[in-house]
Amino acid sequence: MGEFKVHRVRFFDYMPSAIRAMAFNHRTERLAVARSDGAVEIFNFTDSYYQEKVIPGRDGRAVEALCWVGQRLFSAGLNGEITEYDLENLRPQYIVEAYGGPIWTISCNSQGTHLAVGCEDGTVKLFEILKEKIQFQRNLDRQKSRIISLCWHPSGAQIAAGMMDMIKIFDTETGRATHRLLVERGVGTSKTREVVVWSVAFLSDNTIVSGDSAGKVQIWDGSMGTLVRTHLVTKWDVLALSVSQDESSLIAGTSEGTVVQFQFLSSTVDRQDPEWVRTRTFKSHSHDVRALVLTDTAVVSGGMDTQLSVRPLLDKVEKNTQEAAQRKIAFPHRNLVSCAKKAGLLLFQFPDHLELWRLGESDGNGKPGDSLPLKRKPEKLLQLKRKGEDHICCSAVSPCGGWLVYSTVSSVRLYKLQYSNNSVSITKVSKLPRELQSVHQLCFSADSSRLFAASSQSSVVVVALNQLECKYLQTLRHKSGSRQPVHLLFPSEDGRWLATANTDCQIHVYNLQKMKLHCAVPVHSSCPTAIAIHPTSSRLVSVHADQQIFEFSLLQQEYTEWSRKLQKQGLHSVWLKRDTPVTSVGFSPRNPTHILLNDTFMFCIIDQSLPLPESRTLLLNQTVLRSLPGPERARQSHAFKICKNFQNVLSVALLDDLSLAVVERPLLDVMAQLPAPVRQKKFAT
Amino acid sequence: MAKKQRGKTASSSKTAHKEKTTENLNMILESSDDEAPEEVTFEDSKVQALRSMQQALDTARREKELLKEKRRKRQELFQEQKKRKLLPTDVLEEIDSSATKKQKQATDEAEEEQQEEEEDKDEKGKRREKKKKTKKSAHSRNLKGNYTVTTTNDRTLTSFQQQAAEDFIKSRLYGPGSCRTTSNELLSLQNKKGTNKSAAVQFVKKDWACKQKAKAEMLKKRWIHKQRFPSS
Repeated sequence: MGEFKVHRVRFFDYMPSAIRAMAFNHRTERLAVARSDGAVEIFNFTDSYYQEKVIPGRDGRAVEALCWVGQRLFSAGLNGEITEYDLENLRPQYIVEAYGGPIWTISCNSQGTHLAVGCEDGTVKLFEILKEKIQFQRNLDRQKSRIISLCWHPSGAQIAAGMMDMIKIFDTETGRATHRLLVERGVGTSKTREVVVWSVAFLSDNTIVSGDSAGKVQIWDGSMGTLVRTHLVTKWDVLALSVSQDESSLIAGTSEGTVVQFQFLSSTVDRQDPEWVRTRTFKSHSHDVRALVLTDTAVVSGGMDTQLSVRPLLDKVEKNTQEAAQRKIAFPHRNLVSCAKKAGLLLFQFPDHLELWRLGESDGNGKPGDSLPLKRKPEKLLQLKRKGEDHICCSAVSPCGGWLVYSTVSSVRLYKLQYSNNSVSITKVSKLPRELQSVHQLCFSADSSRLFAASSQSSVVVVALNQLECKYLQTLRHKSGSRQPVHLLFPSEDGRWLATANTDCQIHVYNLQKMKLHCAVPVHSSCPTAIAIHPTSSRLVSVHADQQIFEFSLLQQEYTEWSRKLQKQGLHSVWLKRDTPVTSVGFSPRNPTHILLNDTFMFCIIDQSLPLPESRTLLLNQTVLRSLPGPERARQSHAFKICKNFQNVLSVALLDDLSLAVVERPLLDVMAQLPAPVRQKKFAT
Repeated sequence: MAKKQRGKTASSSKTAHKEKTTENLNMILESSDDEAPEEVTFEDSKVQALRSMQQALDTARREKELLKEKRRKRQELFQEQKKRKLLPTDVLEEIDSSATKKQKQATDEAEEEQQEEEEDKDEKGKRREKKKKTKKSAHSRNLKGNYTVTTTNDRTLTSFQQQAAEDFIKSRLYGPGSCRTTSNELLSLQNKKGTNKSAAVQFVKKDWACKQKAKAEMLKKRWIHKQRFPSS
């Protein structure tokens, strides 16, 4: 498999922020997730839950609710603003002030013509959705207390609004409140405390479902304004509700971290009239569940513990398949770590600052598996705070360690670093070309003389760097007409090629000597998650969200022999069952037939000279091989050499001195920093 | 006695003092009826009268001066108090000078800014500096050290409302009566229920719960001390 000296890096204190709101687009199968720092992420549910897009947050943009209208995404937050996002340029498109104080909820009618927002001052405001903008239409009757939750009746004629201590039903034609449903307060000490209706759902048969801070899920008759049924679900709060599209099932998320499912069933076989019956309880979170989506096949939940959980409903999916497995997405699918391979530096990207570390050194030699004594400890060279209120969306350090660049949605900042025996000096490059403005991805060429920046309409801006100035060279464009953002950039080691991948699943390769498009790789149906070009043989390796691996020869402009063989034989089922995408591809200069891959739970070397694993052989055979004698070992070994020593891996990079830098972030460390969970009594503890 | 009376009268009126002295003389003559009149020459009495008059004038002037002095001291005291309420002069000077000088960032980027300043020596830099000055809000001024002087009315209504709304959520979810525990408890519960039990997290992770550990260390020291010297 090859031996490496490994820098096991655990000083990247990456802390994901809590999930605050979610919205699912049933037509495109995209899930939008809003985090408490204001960032919005888009997951593609048809493509292995791949995190396609990330719109960075901003200080003070506390997104409280999300809403899809067709392909458009709207959010509303406690800063009192409604934002529509530009999903092609990954930034807010425009912001409309609602003038009603903090906005707690946003909801769109099923016709897609109007948005309703619930404000702190007790008004429900209707906005008309126009092309390219939204326009305020009118207020419904103003109430005395804040509007916490809203739901339109599918017909669009009524709106149910959850408030403090009550639910009101509004007629959208007249704007008058037609019914007032009083919600009972909790028992005991919380009697004096107002109850908050955190979530409300309005079904087409005029049933209203509410979830409140007293831990009740209540079913109301909306036409008569009467309470039908109360289900006491938890001692804490019911924070979120979600109803399936066919209205046969609904889920409620609680502070305990449980998700409770209710179904519309007849309770006994002989009775005809169906009612809402509590059926299942899922516990996929340790902390409060604050956002829920019930898709056709799965319960999607997220909350204070920052993980996105996708739990398939076993009556809706085929058992014992890839589909039936629960998924937890704890880490972003893009790289937050940038590595200066020559200088042995790591750049960590946080939303509000960057950290530059020098890796430790060791001169000891040991057996494989030993931990070597450190000669020099890893040291933090630099902590760079970002300017402005926008969060950092991407960053890079050059391979020589002499340049550092980061970008927010509004600006790009480039710095020159100089090292003198124990100190670092940093100089901002003052004049950047005007083309460097809205940037989604950044990287440096291998010789640190060029900066590549993925810009709008999946173009790439090339900037030349030298000691004195930084000069705009050219913008590379392709002709496919795709306007989706580029999420991967890879310049080849020899400086000849630049490969880009965008979220339309396209991969383009540019010739950097002629500064024009060289070729487009045939489009695979799944989005590429990592791409790389072999340093000597100009072959492009791409790994996709569905775990497929392709190798494309740039000179012949066709798939290589090995890639064809791999496709013909098919990948091993264990490989295909992995649930995290491969986030980086690398090559070993020591052995040109080796491809290095990693995802969150493993590190893998593919040896192209060895035979591919048969479907019946063991894929994870490293321990078995170690115990076998020489000739037998050679007979049994296959191309996929997988190492699972490292867990919760954020990044793996091969340095120029052939040592590996593995950046881990143990989930325990993340969990230790989370806010307080609820106190639960467990038997015998 | 006569002196005294004369003194008093003299102090009351200056202009008609001559007439008054004669009056007084008469009075003295009248009062000492039964005794034989002492022989006082006119010259003597005149000198005495003049001296006493002079004395009276002097005391009056002195009194006036004293009063003036008192007022002045009081004024000074007030000014002193006023000054004491203000910031120290060096701080005030710093504020004045920083208004004209370039505003420095007192954060981690200080280093970087210094570099910029060096650059700024050329003209281009100066132009950019100007731009920077206009960009920054006029309400905040940075001082030399880690202090920043900002006017508080810069914050708008929305941010207060936002803060209030965030506080509402926080109080509902984490406020009193919410029955919350700590992550440490949760982890230890998980540890107890898990298949392979290990030491509690704060022992496994050295860098965790530093505060509690420091406190425990202190209490331990105190306890040992108590054991050793039970009387004290």
